[in-house]
Amino acid sequence: MEWYWALATLIGTVMFFMAAGTPVALTFITTNIIGVLVFMGGTAGLTQIVDNSTVLITTFTLGPVPMFILMGALFFHTGLAIRVFDGLDVLFGRLPGRLCYLTVAGGAMFSTLTGSSMANTAMLGSLMVPEMQRRGYNRRMSMGPILGTGGLAMIIPPSSLGVLLASVASIDVGKLLVAGFLPGFVLAGLYATLIFLQIKFSPGSAPAYDVEMPSVATRIKLVITNILPMGLVVFMVIGFIVLGLSTPTEAAAFGVLGVIILAVAFRLLTFTSIRKSVEATVKVGAMVFFILMSSTVFSQLLAYSGASAGLLNWATGFELSKYVVLLMMLVILIVLGMFMDPTSMMLITVPIFFPLAHALGFDLIWFGLLVLMTFEMAGTTPPFGLLLYVMLGVAPKGTTLFQVAGAALPFLLCDAILIFILIMYPNLAMWLPSLM
Amino acid sequence: MSGIIKVYNFLLNGLAVCSGIIIFTAFLMIVFDVTLRILGFVPPTFTIAVVEYFLLYFTLLAAPWLVRQKGHVFIDAGTQFLPPVPKKVVAKCVYAVCICSTLTFCWFSLGLLIETYTQDMLDVRGIDMPQWLMFAPMPICFLLIAVEFGRFLIGIDDMYGDRTEVRESM
Repeated sequence: MEWYWALATLIGTVMFFMAAGTPVALTFITTNIIGVLVFMGGTAGLTQIVDNSTVLITTFTLGPVPMFILMGALFFHTGLAIRVFDGLDVLFGRLPGRLCYLTVAGGAMFSTLTGSSMANTAMLGSLMVPEMQRRGYNRRMSMGPILGTGGLAMIIPPSSLGVLLASVASIDVGKLLVAGFLPGFVLAGLYATLIFLQIKFSPGSAPAYDVEMPSVATRIKLVITNILPMGLVVFMVIGFIVLGLSTPTEAAAFGVLGVIILAVAFRLLTFTSIRKSVEATVKVGAMVFFILMSSTVFSQLLAYSGASAGLLNWATGFELSKYVVLLMMLVILIVLGMFMDPTSMMLITVPIFFPLAHALGFDLIWFGLLVLMTFEMAGTTPPFGLLLYVMLGVAPKGTTLFQVAGAALPFLLCDAILIFILIMYPNLAMWLPSLM
Repeated sequence: MSGIIKVYNFLLNGLAVCSGIIIFTAFLMIVFDVTLRILGFVPPTFTIAVVEYFLLYFTLLAAPWLVRQKGHVFIDAGTQFLPPVPKKVVAKCVYAVCICSTLTFCWFSLGLLIETYTQDMLDVRGIDMPQWLMFAPMPICFLLIAVEFGRFLIGIDDMYGDRTEVRESM
């Protein structure tokens, strides 16, 4: 079979079952079964599928995923998240558009501590949108920053999705996590600049209002008690990885420990919060890992059928600039991301795009970060970006998808600007990993 | 009949609880291992291998419960605009496909379990693990997943209905 028919068979089967509403994990399991029967014939290959399905999820490098989810869940369920928010709240004082800045700062902080875009968007949406509406902010100003910062979780470490991507693509987990640190904060800066400009040109969109300002001593105390301790957790996770003191899995486990210590110190740790956090970890972690079970076999089928090599030769056979090919890959990811969740996209595209990026001479850590950025963009791209629907679920009644998408658009442009900056100045991402 | 259902539900929920206990134990093991290392003691050699197996058990033991909870992510963009009858037909076909696929996995994993157990095969990691341990949860978990999709197929429940909250994902 020609490589393009093999590729069409495998990708087409995945698309067909997904479009029919088959759970993503079962879509890949079924595609693998069909793929083995088509390309290998007989039932010997079926035994091989089952055998190989355990390969990826029994690797220690995937350990940070459930640990980061547990860490984020504990952060939310113990109430530590609200304490951080309260601490940040007093810092912004009477700044025009303070709730928007608070969202970006809080979102960046939550991203650092939770690594979950959806949890971020859901929490910030339910927390901030009603308050912003009450203060007379228009919908664009109340939803846009939340959608933007919800996506920061994908690149600011610890990013669960970053660990998944690195594991599926067989690149260094620690380096990919650390590579997102500086670009993540640059992106948060771009968002803040955007908000400043939006308020400058349309002051009515986020009217100023009077807030009671606590004394300087109270503010300093709130920062010390509510914000700085979270630095301990961030240090445990990122510091341990950069300093080479532990593997990402071990650093993630210490991140969980850090949150537990803080929750104990603030007398917020209860049996219920632990139970709820573990339940959330099982719900999200096991679901994602069940999808990943099919990853190895799907990659092997793409390779065995000749689809990967054929596509690679075809794509590198053109006289195109490697940056044009890069742009095409990113656009494909954004289009796919309008319809699919990031894990599914990863399984389909990583076995094809990463060898291609390697063949074109791109650094795979840098490329991985760009891929994460496009996942972030895809999540807020209409009509099917998942974060848009999360926001729609927590937004006030009467909000339309069009309004949510409109609010997200300027923040998507910020994402595009960051991608451009990363292409022009790769060192922004690669400097920290180079220290490891 | 209600007794069997009670036992079945207990098994389904019990496996999910085990999944939660397993992942929390993995966290404690890693912290204990690193702490020993930092303090200058020799950490146990089995931690990494056991945690790796725990990741597998964590995934598989929760998978049937996740079907019951409608927690496996799917994309409904392709079917949401269909009229009710074709939508129902497509849903039934999806359930049937899922049952076939999971029963296939159940059957072939059972074969692997028997083969690795009878031949005393070893999985060489940080420590040597009996390889049958890797396949031990598979037949029962995939069988339970098939049963859960069977519930959807005969109309006891609907995977696409009764969603009251935003699906959790990353």
